[in-house]
Amino acid sequence: MTVFHFFNCAILTFGPHAVYYSATPLSEYDTLGTSVKAALVYLGTALVKLVCLATFLKVSENDSFDPYQELLKALIGFIDVAGLYFALTQLTHRNISQNHKFQAVGLGWAFADSVLHRLAPLWVGARGLEFTWDYILQGLEANANLVLSISLAALGSLMWLRKNKPKTLIPIIYACAGIVATMPSITSYLRRGLGWHFPEVVGFELFTSLVMAFTSWQLFAACQRPSS
Amino acid sequence: MAIPTNESVYSAMALLFILVTCVELCDAVAVVDVYRLIQYDIAGVPFGSRLASLNHHAGSSLFTPGADLSRTVVMIPVTELNITFIRALDQDFDACGNGIAEYIEQKQPLGGLIFLLPRMFSPENKDVKYGGDEDPGKELMKNILVELERFLLYANIPYPVYFAFEDDNINAVLADVKRNDVTGQPATATTGGYKLVVSAPEPRKLASPTITNIQGWLPGLKTDGDSTQLPTIAVVASYDTFGAAPALSVGSDSNGSGVVVLLEIARLFSLLYSNPKTRGRYNLLFGLTSGGPYNYNGTHKWLRSFDQRLRESIDYAICLNSVGSLDKDLWIHVSKPPENAYIKQIFEGFSNVAEELGLKVGLKHKKINISNPRVAWEHEQFSRLRVTAATLSELSVAPELLESTGGLFDNRHFVNEAAITRTVKLVAESLARHIYGHQGKNFKIFADDSSYAVNPSYITSWLDLLSRTPRVAPFLSKNDPIITALKKELAEHTVEVSLQNEMLDGMFTFYDSTRGRLNIYQSGQQLLCALYTVGAAGDEVNLLLIDNGVLAKRGKGVIVASVTFDLLLLLVLGSYLIILFSFLVITTRGLDDLISLFRRPHSRKVKST
Repeated sequence: MTVFHFFNCAILTFGPHAVYYSATPLSEYDTLGTSVKAALVYLGTALVKLVCLATFLKVSENDSFDPYQELLKALIGFIDVAGLYFALTQLTHRNISQNHKFQAVGLGWAFADSVLHRLAPLWVGARGLEFTWDYILQGLEANANLVLSISLAALGSLMWLRKNKPKTLIPIIYACAGIVATMPSITSYLRRGLGWHFPEVVGFELFTSLVMAFTSWQLFAACQRPSS
Repeated sequence: MAIPTNESVYSAMALLFILVTCVELCDAVAVVDVYRLIQYDIAGVPFGSRLASLNHHAGSSLFTPGADLSRTVVMIPVTELNITFIRALDQDFDACGNGIAEYIEQKQPLGGLIFLLPRMFSPENKDVKYGGDEDPGKELMKNILVELERFLLYANIPYPVYFAFEDDNINAVLADVKRNDVTGQPATATTGGYKLVVSAPEPRKLASPTITNIQGWLPGLKTDGDSTQLPTIAVVASYDTFGAAPALSVGSDSNGSGVVVLLEIARLFSLLYSNPKTRGRYNLLFGLTSGGPYNYNGTHKWLRSFDQRLRESIDYAICLNSVGSLDKDLWIHVSKPPENAYIKQIFEGFSNVAEELGLKVGLKHKKINISNPRVAWEHEQFSRLRVTAATLSELSVAPELLESTGGLFDNRHFVNEAAITRTVKLVAESLARHIYGHQGKNFKIFADDSSYAVNPSYITSWLDLLSRTPRVAPFLSKNDPIITALKKELAEHTVEVSLQNEMLDGMFTFYDSTRGRLNIYQSGQQLLCALYTVGAAGDEVNLLLIDNGVLAKRGKGVIVASVTFDLLLLLVLGSYLIILFSFLVITTRGLDDLISLFRRPHSRKVKST
């Protein structure tokens, strides 16, 4: 099993990022620098988040779902949004279009997230003797996360970078962004509060990520139309 | 676009197959108790199995020509061994290396070794009782085990060696493995087979093993004004064991039988001594000593702890050692010459009673060599301190170090209650005649119908308990249940019961991790077979039905997937990434771009030509 299986899981976890980069025009415009910067911002954000979590959160003894704690966690989760805002607006990029910018940022963001959260467990666990589906599911989760990150970045760029968007769409954009940003809390609730198993949670994530991707794509296209 | 989609559908189907077969594999996983070969050092020289953790594929034969066994665990049923097989003659030309002993001695690489002991040796198996007249197979098995054990104890084996009991699971696995081996396909990661896993930490040295002696008194009757100390008779048995597998070393005969005899004698005499009229003019001292296999180290310590006057008051000591076999004569071993008056008295007392019981008791004299550290009999520790002592045993010659100390074969099935009852009668009657001064008279205190009759159920229950309890001293804690039980039992019948904890000295170092759990995983091959068969049948509807049925069972158990599975997974992932790539290119740049992506090198070639 072992190393081969590890490679399989690694391909599933990190392959889509590479494919996304090379298949879309991102590679043609050489936006790697943007992605790397976004990844660095993600690292910083993760550090800040970690400090906040350690400061404000009690370590729960049991694995139950505590609404207050989860609310706090969700609030801390919005630090992510702040980090994304910084990456999208404050970082000076080479002159790339907004279209590519959000994709590059989302990609870098998701890739850094995957590396930080999934590489170590993969390395430790997937090479073990026992076969579990966990690591394959985790890889699928990484895919869902990539889609969600890019959706969030797209929505973010709509919110902060695009000035002349239709007024009617603004609440929808904000609502969608809110949903995507609270995704970690929602899955956490499903897992602990409702006792869903990992495969079900991953299935849910995949489904929502596709729905959100479609929605944000439509929103983006709708905002594009009047300006173009 | 259509072709990759099709491919992915097939891949998904394949994945489904695998899911189904994997789920069915969960049920094949078996867990078996295994007992590790002892690991110990004598004066820093390593002996026994030096590793504990095991994780290799199963094999059935050591002698597959040209096979590399360094990553194989060989399972050998002890029933398939015979002594010549273990010890192939060196001169024998064509027997080149067909003995396990030779294989081990030559330090051939091996992943591990598991000896399968017959089911009758299992501690759970109680229904087979001692059959009096032996069936020859049992005797043969005993010889094989003695031979095997003697070899393993003095071998330094750099891989894990375990003992397990045959049962239906193991036998099924073994049959499978054998079938596999016959086809000549060695089990490797790619072909699957069975994987045997014992996860155990690195064995650690036991820090300063302790030994615990237990003693109890039955004080004799002192007449008023008699200031001199009463003489003492000591009855002693060592209760601990030593064997190739410490967790299996129950020593029913050596020396569980001696312990049972001692307890029963204590019970009988406590009945006599509870009545002032029948209370003798002798003190009785009962000693359960530890450290027996290590030159009676515990007895040595115990005697040293006595003060001089007590030691001098001991009239004589009877040590009991291995007295549970019906078909063997008993021997009285002494270290003073038989002409010695005391020895003569003891021997005559015993042989008179033995004659009445229809037994034969012989006298064996073995001189003590003070310069030799080996103490073969327990009474020699007494003799070294000039206390008259004798050992009653069915062994006619002095055992070597770590021999006859309760090895693998020494279990309940080789011990007979009747023999123990007989010995109890012999010893108790001889003692009684000595105490009450009835030497040479035919006088029975412990007759079967009297109130002082020997109690067979008491003997059986204690024998059963001891035969279930491994008692290798370094692995017993100071207040181990069996020590507490012995102390409590002795306290029932005697007074001033005390425990004496001592360090085991000498050159022995022991290592822990004496038992483990063997996980048997089934890997790869079945999966492949299942795939082929289902693929050939091509019955997808059926498959989906199976899938629905089995999915409910998912999530438990442990599966070892094979390389085949990983290859298929790789295929699935590859096609997924290709589809993803095509999809992204088409949506972001258009279909023409995708086509040109593939065409470009081709067109360049055309240009160059």
